[in-house]
Formats: sequence, structure tokens, C-alpha cells
Amino acid sequence: MGGAMRLKILRPVGIILTALLFEGCVNATVDEMTYNEPVAGIGESSVVILGRRHAPDYDTEFDFIECIGDHIHSGDPSIDVINEIAFINQFYPWFEPRTAPLQPQTIDQLLELPIVANQFAEMKLEYMIWIDGKTVDTESVGSMSCGIGPGVAGCFGFGTWGTESEYEATIWDFTDKVEVGKVSAVTSGQSYMPAVIVPIPIIAPVQGTACDSLGDQLLEYLSAHH
Amino acid sequence: MGVASLVSTTSGLEHVRIGRWLLLLCLTLLGTGCASRQVVVEGNFPTPLLDPLPITLGVIYPQAFAEHEFFDEAKGRTETDWLVKTGEAQVTFWDKVFTGMFDEVVHIRDWETVLAHGADIDGVIIPAISDLQYTIPTHTNVKIYEIWMRYEFRLVDISAIHQQDDGALTVNPDERLAAWPVTAYGKTPTAFLQTDEEAVNLAAVVALRDAGAHFITTFGATPDIAVWLDNIANGISQNDTIPTPESGDVPVPVPPKEADAPEVKENPTATAAQTDSVS
Repeated sequence: MGGAMRLKILRPVGIILTALLFEGCVNATVDEMTYNEPVAGIGESSVVILGRRHAPDYDTEFDFIECIGDHIHSGDPSIDVINEIAFINQFYPWFEPRTAPLQPQTIDQLLELPIVANQFAEMKLEYMIWIDGKTVDTESVGSMSCGIGPGVAGCFGFGTWGTESEYEATIWDFTDKVEVGKVSAVTSGQSYMPAVIVPIPIIAPVQGTACDSLGDQLLEYLSAHH
Repeated sequence: MGVASLVSTTSGLEHVRIGRWLLLLCLTLLGTGCASRQVVVEGNFPTPLLDPLPITLGVIYPQAFAEHEFFDEAKGRTETDWLVKTGEAQVTFWDKVFTGMFDEVVHIRDWETVLAHGADIDGVIIPAISDLQYTIPTHTNVKIYEIWMRYEFRLVDISAIHQQDDGALTVNPDERLAAWPVTAYGKTPTAFLQTDEEAVNLAAVVALRDAGAHFITTFGATPDIAVWLDNIANGISQNDTIPTPESGDVPVPVPPKEADAPEVKENPTATAAQTDSVS
């Protein structure tokens, strides 16, 4: 009797653990094409990573840009990655969605303004990396119902949804005003939410994987130690 | 019997109490459908990175501008009223833009300011908001909050500002040096744990920044402004230049705010067909 009870309890626990084993199933495809890699690293120069936000239907997420910056800096602390929001504010209004340069050659126009040129010189900016892309949830299926009563609450059901990330990083050499590379990451994954009394979210880290993938490639390009 | 009566009374009180709670719950639920949402736009705005023009600019923020708000009434039970107050943020933001763009900025609130600084002021700018529209995901089913604004800027010479008998300042729109529109757009995607109010505020801040970027990058390229800047560079008084009235342009009333914002009324002493008064 006791053994049967134990089996009853262990069965759902086993199912959950099995499901947890599949957590984080994400497919990632990374493409890279870079030139003029700084073999000795970037020394005391700095890098800024900026998100593109001029598309009508999406904005590249600020936290994604921060994630890549953190990834690069934690991989090689000698690389000075300038905070995106601080940079945009410091150079207002020249990096707003309306005014941000779309081609590296147009930076020369900005440098015609002495005050802007001086700021860039002080910053020792060597690379400007533009990230364009987004993460979206795709098809979702399933249903779940939750109820609450005196002393009792719980949910029952099952839901699943897909998530897709697609980002492209374009690297500009700020000294020569040329594009020196492109790195792209496409990731997708399926998240699940089974609920037997308590919902258990099994989230696929799709955006996190895209961040790690792009971050690794950019780190490899910028760092002398990778 | 006595015990039964007591139980009965207690039970009755319980029913009343439960009834009250149910009524309160129903009223709350009903109220939720009609609740209005209010956003007072707030943000930290950066100072523009510019070499300021060697110009002393007068600025008049009309009351309608300084206290600008946008109200959208709910069209059905599933929608809510929206009140978006942008006035305070507008003044804070444009002050930063103007002080970053020009050597000196003088806020013209009364005739005394005109007398004290009039000789130094190269031109007076008067902003107005002619339109503001917004969308939230419940309107469009797209996970983006958007704000769109249209400004009408007017630049007048200090000599175009007059004082009325009641002390109010008057601006003759036909004496303007330039008038031009500036449009602005701001959007923000939905984010986890972000309320509608926070998202609308953020979209408004993005729209303001966009307005500033648009204003700064097109200012010198506006033909009438270019003439004005050339005249200042060549030391020509604005009184010597020909005003550029545009037919069919309705003057934007600039009503007064008690302490800060100037009032604009019709000027009975002015000869022009249409006048704005600023007190």
C-alpha cells in the first residue's frame, strides 16, 4: 500500500524531472564574416554596442544590447564597452532612431561638428557595433484553467509556445570609417508549461542563447585572448 | 429559542456583510471597465551636444503648450479613458534643447522682460502642439505603444510683441519671421511587468526626443530660418527684413497661465486681421 502511494507520488515527479531534462532545447545558427581582425586586441580603445530602432514594427531590445556588452566584458575585462544609453544621451541628438548613421561613411559628417569630434576623441572609440533584430513568440497551443476555492487553489492543463530570435551585428571600424564584419545569430526554441495543481514553466532560453552566440563571436573578434 | 434567535441574528448579519462585500466587488468590477488612466509624462532629457549658435533667443511657452494634455474618451465598455499630460515635460525638454542650441535663452513672461532684454533678443520662438495621437496594443493588436505629435513653431521678431491695456502681451502672427511644422514619433514595445502607463510615458519621452532631434537637424535648413540666420550673421536688423505671412494660417491662441505662461487674446488695438496676445 505504502509502495503504491510512493509510486503515485514519484510518477509525476519523474515526468517533471524528465521534462526538466529537455529544458533549454534551443537551435542556434551563427554566421560570421569579418575582416581586419585586431590581432593584438583593441588595447585602451573602447567599443560601443548600439541597437537599431528605426524599423516601424520592432525595436532592438535595450536589455539584449546590455547582455552582449556584459558578455564581452566578462569574457575579456580589458575591453571597455561603453553603456548604450549613456552613449546615446551623451551624443544626443546624433544617435536617435531618426538621426543615427546608417553607413559608416556618414560618420564623417558628424565629425565635422567640433564638439562631437572632441567627444569621440576623448572616448578613444575604436569600434561601433550595431545590432539589429528582435525576439518574438510564435505559435502557441494548449489551454490551462486555474481555480481557487476555500483553502484550495490550483491549475490544470498544458501550454506550449515557440520563440524565435534573429539578430545581426554589424561592426564598424571607427578609425577608418569602414564596415569590417557582420555576425548573425538565428535561434529558436519551444517552451512548455504543464500544470498539475502547480504550473511548471520550462522556458527555452532563446534570446539568452542568441546573446551568448553573438557575444562569443564578437569577443573572438575583439579580444586578443580568444 | 433564545439561542436560535441569536444564531438567526448572527446569520442575518453575515448575510448583510457578505452582501456588502459582493456589492463592493460588483462596483469594483464595474468601475474597472470605466476607470480612466492618467499619465503625467516624466523623463530625464539630455542636453544636446552642439556648439550653440551665437544668438539670444526669446521663448514664449503659451499656456496651452505649458499645460498641454491629451484626453481620449473610452469608446466602449472594454476601453478606458486616457489622459496624457505632457505640458510639464514639454517645457523641461524644450528648455534643454533651446539652451543647448543658442548662446542665451530668455523666457518672455511679461512686458518687463521685453523692455529689459528686448534689445538683445534676436528672435522669439513660440511653440505649439497642433496634434497628438497615440495607440496602445488594445487598439491595434500590435505589441507596441506609439505616440505621434505635430508641433507648429513660430519665430517672430521682438518688435512683433506688443502690450495690451490689461498688460497682456500680443503677437501679431502676420509679423512672423518663420513658421514651420515639426513632427515627432515615439514607440516602445511591450515589456514584461511594464504597465500601460509606463509604456505610454516611455513612448512620449521617445517622441519628445525625436521632436528635438527633428527640430535641431532641420532648423537651419528651413528657408525662412536660413534667411534669419544670415541676417543675424550679416548684422542686419530683423526690422529691416520682410515678414513672411502665409495666407490661411490660423494663429494659435496663446492663453495666459497665471504665473508662468503668457496669455494670448485678440488685440483690439492691432491693425492686423488676426493677432495673438501674450500676457
